[in-house]
Amino acid sequence: MGQCLRHPMSWEELEEYQALTFLTRNEILCIHETFCKLCPRGKYYKEATLTMDQISSLPALRVNPFRDRICRVFSHDEVFSFEDILGMASVFSAQACPSLKIEYAFRIYDINENGFIDEDDLQNIIKRLLNTTDVGDELLKNLIQHVWYDADLDNDHMLSFAEFEHAMSKSPDFMNSFRIPSWGL
Amino acid sequence: MDESISTYYTHLTVPREDEHRHLNMTFLQELPSYRSIVRRRASILGRDKTRGSLLKPASSDHKAHLEIGKLEKEHVGSQSIRKYALDISEKRRLREIQEAQIKYLSDWDQWKQYSTKSWKKFIEETKELASHLELWRNDLRSIEGKFGTGIQAYFAFLRFLVILNLVIFIIIFLFILLPIILTKYKITDSTFLIIPSSEIDLRCKVYTMNSTGLIYFYTYMIDLLSGTGFLEWTSLFYGHYTVDGIKFKTFTYDLPLAYLLSTIAYMSLSLLWIVKRSVEGFKQNLVRSEEQYQSYCNKIFAGWDFCITDQTTARLKHSSILYELKTDLEEERIRQKIAERTPEETLRIYSLRLLLNTVVVAFLASCFYSIYVATVFSQEHMKKEINKMVFGENLLILYLPSIVITMANFITPLIFSRIIHYEDYSPAFEIRLTLLRCVFMRLATICVLVLTLGSKITYCDNEDCRVCGYNHKLYPCWENQVGQEMYKLMIFDLIINLAVTIFIEFPRKLLVTHCSNWKLIRCWGQQEFAIPDNVLGIVYGQTICWIGSFFSPLLPAIATVKFIIIFYVKEISLMYTCRPSTRPFRASNSNFFFLLVLLIGLSLAFIPLGISMTHIPSSKACGPFTNFNTSWDAIPKTVSTFPVALQTLVHAVTSEAFAVPFFIVICLIMFYFIALAGAHKRVVVQLRQQLAVESRDKHYLVRRLTELQEETRNRPS
Repeated sequence: MGQCLRHPMSWEELEEYQALTFLTRNEILCIHETFCKLCPRGKYYKEATLTMDQISSLPALRVNPFRDRICRVFSHDEVFSFEDILGMASVFSAQACPSLKIEYAFRIYDINENGFIDEDDLQNIIKRLLNTTDVGDELLKNLIQHVWYDADLDNDHMLSFAEFEHAMSKSPDFMNSFRIPSWGL
Repeated sequence: MDESISTYYTHLTVPREDEHRHLNMTFLQELPSYRSIVRRRASILGRDKTRGSLLKPASSDHKAHLEIGKLEKEHVGSQSIRKYALDISEKRRLREIQEAQIKYLSDWDQWKQYSTKSWKKFIEETKELASHLELWRNDLRSIEGKFGTGIQAYFAFLRFLVILNLVIFIIIFLFILLPIILTKYKITDSTFLIIPSSEIDLRCKVYTMNSTGLIYFYTYMIDLLSGTGFLEWTSLFYGHYTVDGIKFKTFTYDLPLAYLLSTIAYMSLSLLWIVKRSVEGFKQNLVRSEEQYQSYCNKIFAGWDFCITDQTTARLKHSSILYELKTDLEEERIRQKIAERTPEETLRIYSLRLLLNTVVVAFLASCFYSIYVATVFSQEHMKKEINKMVFGENLLILYLPSIVITMANFITPLIFSRIIHYEDYSPAFEIRLTLLRCVFMRLATICVLVLTLGSKITYCDNEDCRVCGYNHKLYPCWENQVGQEMYKLMIFDLIINLAVTIFIEFPRKLLVTHCSNWKLIRCWGQQEFAIPDNVLGIVYGQTICWIGSFFSPLLPAIATVKFIIIFYVKEISLMYTCRPSTRPFRASNSNFFFLLVLLIGLSLAFIPLGISMTHIPSSKACGPFTNFNTSWDAIPKTVSTFPVALQTLVHAVTSEAFAVPFFIVICLIMFYFIALAGAHKRVVVQLRQQLAVESRDKHYLVRRLTELQEETRNRPS
């Protein structure tokens, strides 16, 4: 856990990040501090990268059952640059707009990455939610059927992005739960 | 379709089983509907970044450039860059493109964009500043991380009540206390105006304090706890405000009217604020389909609280999600069972329910009667000489109504939860009905108390009442008595809360941690933070505040302090003695439930206030309404000083000739909207069926296409 070059962010960079993301000034500075604590010694923060394991072990993501999916969706070439982390934090910030959150939620939940949330994806999601691979078949079948009944409008046993968006815009808990307030160590 | 066949010929492998599915998927991803959604999500492809086959183009690079070109055209205008699902580096590029495009706009458009941008920035900065001023932000964050959003909703609700009470007190201070203080301490050059009225019998105006003589220390304690004695003459109670107006240099400040109007103002403000807060939650409830308890999509896709950082909380969340999903499925099974009931069973169940409901009503009636008896007893014995009684006995009599109410509130939930088992409802409905019954019970007890007082005030079996309209011998200043009862209830509530935390919750935690080898202690277990009971507790406190504010203007300030103390006490109790609940309480449901209960409290508070303001004559010996028949009379008297045109307008608006047609028109509008909603629902059902049919067609076509390709491949060329 070395410390990268203690290069404080300049005013212009801060303004630019504020304009390009939903984060507030304090949040950006907090993420910068966390990043500097974790990145290897001697590197400029804009060039340093962190591994997916390092991000997975941040307190914000440590106990999240979807942390590997989050890391995969937001990283590039399996590493995180500083701007990748900012992008991730922006999506999860409290000020982010619903369409952005729904977009990334779809990408996170589409585990086999085929552009649709199908039955395999749903089984995987439920097993992660219940933190066990040993879920009763009956329970699983029932739940999946109910999800199709609720959200699968065209009856093809898959959720396209439009159907997912429609379901999440009706969901009252989505904005509140899809939110990570702080990325500190 | 041609492109897909042309791309097919680049595949050289022999198709296998899952290649079928892959081909299906590829076709689905090439459909125009899918592509347009991908384009709408504005994903720029480029710079060697692959993000899964979601965004792999089916054809060559020139199409990618076309995409970017189209996007560039679409982005003229002040769209916020942040909303795009892109990398920061791509957003930067987009921003540069946007700024380059601005040069080609006319001057007016440029100025418009610039001003909207700076306005948005200004709004954001004020919001950021305001969020720093948010009360208890860090406390709420840490509670949320450790216990989840359900419990955090309770503390957010408590914070809302603190702010509401503070605002009510500010209204009262500005319009009632400030002029009096300015005059009393000679800050401005104004005088009190007292208009003696010749119509009122002098006997009504007699109001003396109890003779003092030697005062023991404990009388001070009793006075502080019950609002009698030295507290009775302070600005805490209604009786202090015995002025008819305040004469400033240029105008006369009508204090009675201000007193009445500020009461109406803060009650309406409370109503509007609560309705505004509950509208958001209600909108979501309206949009959901009929089976509103079973939104599985919500529970699965939005089920995990991403803000949880603690390992134990995470474990509990997993088990609570499992519990919730199982309960919902169970609930549905029971619903189906209920739907399949035979007529005899239905008859049996309904008659049983009727019987049990009568039992519930009888129980409520007996509670109310005991409160009535206790209040009457307390009032009668309070008039005896205080010095002659022992300290404890005196306090017991003074606090008797509060004690009876608290005991009734304690026993009621236990009995109700026993009774409801026999009524055979589905589990979720059981919980809701028990909760509603407890809420009603808790809030109605205060009403009963106040109405009992009201009946005692206006009851007299000889000539007393005819002189002044109320029993002036026993209650020369009856508003003070009512204010004192509310004050006592509030203080007692605070004391009970503190006592329960200190003497029950902390010892329980100590016992559980140190004596965990005793089976009994282990069974009892650690405290769970019971949200419904706690919410009822604070709504009860707030209802007392609302009823009592008219009779005791400083009560909202006391309520603010009380809620602040309760916030910290509950927070400490939560952190140190409670384990997180296994029964989940969803935040979305919670907010709506809390505000609904608060609304019930507010409506129940309107009843005693309304009756005492309009039906019971105001005391002639104290208070601002000595020259009026009832408190409400200040308004007609003011209206009669308006110019004639305005007077006729006011009379017209409040007459029946206006009210009845107005009511009928409102009913018609409501029926129209209900009919419209019904029509929309039918259209939604039809459209859903249509979608299902279209999708079947689409999948059939894709399947045929796949089969056709197989045939062409397998056909010898």
